[in-house]
Amino acid sequence: MAYPFQLGFQDATSPIMEELLHFHDHTLMIVFLISSLVLYIISLMLTTKLTHTSTMDAQEVETIWTILPAIILILIALPSLRILYMMDEINSPSLTVKTMGHQWYWSYEYTDYEDLSFDSYMIPTQELKPGELRLLEVDNRVVLPMEVTVRMLISSEDVLHSWAVPSLGLKTDAIPGRLNQTTLMGTRPGLYYGQCSEICGSNHSFMPIVLELVPLPYFEKWSVSML
Amino acid sequence: VQCIILHPHPPRLLAKRLRFHIVGAFAVSLGVAAFLKFAVAKPGKKAYADFYRNYDSMKDFEKMKKAGIFQSAK
Repeated sequence: MAYPFQLGFQDATSPIMEELLHFHDHTLMIVFLISSLVLYIISLMLTTKLTHTSTMDAQEVETIWTILPAIILILIALPSLRILYMMDEINSPSLTVKTMGHQWYWSYEYTDYEDLSFDSYMIPTQELKPGELRLLEVDNRVVLPMEVTVRMLISSEDVLHSWAVPSLGLKTDAIPGRLNQTTLMGTRPGLYYGQCSEICGSNHSFMPIVLELVPLPYFEKWSVSML
Repeated sequence: VQCIILHPHPPRLLAKRLRFHIVGAFAVSLGVAAFLKFAVAKPGKKAYADFYRNYDSMKDFEKMKKAGIFQSAK
């Protein structure tokens, strides 16, 4: 989950999010490179009385400042495309879970074997127990097996919503009349929080998502207990 | 009388300054990039590799279960 004074991403809990984190470090390095160059040049221009008012052409420097940015863009695009294609790899999920966005809660359906479905409402602040997180806790969490590829099918019953879990690098729009798919693979057990990421009305900030990743036997016991 | 007019060579002060500082600017920005690569990006990758090298997810799970955070595993 997010924490006070946080500057970067949350710790990655999936291989894709780890790749995104490292890609962000790489791209930020390029951003700092360009920004420091521009800042240096600006300060250079502001700290001299020398002028040159008779420039006629500048073929060499124009070639350089066309080719260099093109190279930089390629250096950004190649790792980006690598991760994009990695996200779309065929990975044969072992479990499919459907989630529908509503105003203002999420509902989940585990229908691979039996018909298990439940709603997931935010716990109001007055009803929180000590140690629970304000505006993030829900009554029924999305329990999933860890270290297993899960297919999430996401849609909406009313307006646009977006199902997001930053720690796993997930954000998929929930669009009425459309079924969007994303795959999820948590490498560690624990609780992973997210919030609705598409404006959907007055309680848009009050429909969080909580994933509970546990070992497969516990997931199986839980799903039986929920039927 | 032959008059030789000597035209002074322009001192090219701006060009000299530019050449010196453009090289410096590229050096500084590449230095910043190298610093970020070796002080941020590489340690970040290493931190994840070190964490997962001997990671025991079941041991982690048992610790969390004992803390009572799970709904599905009391």
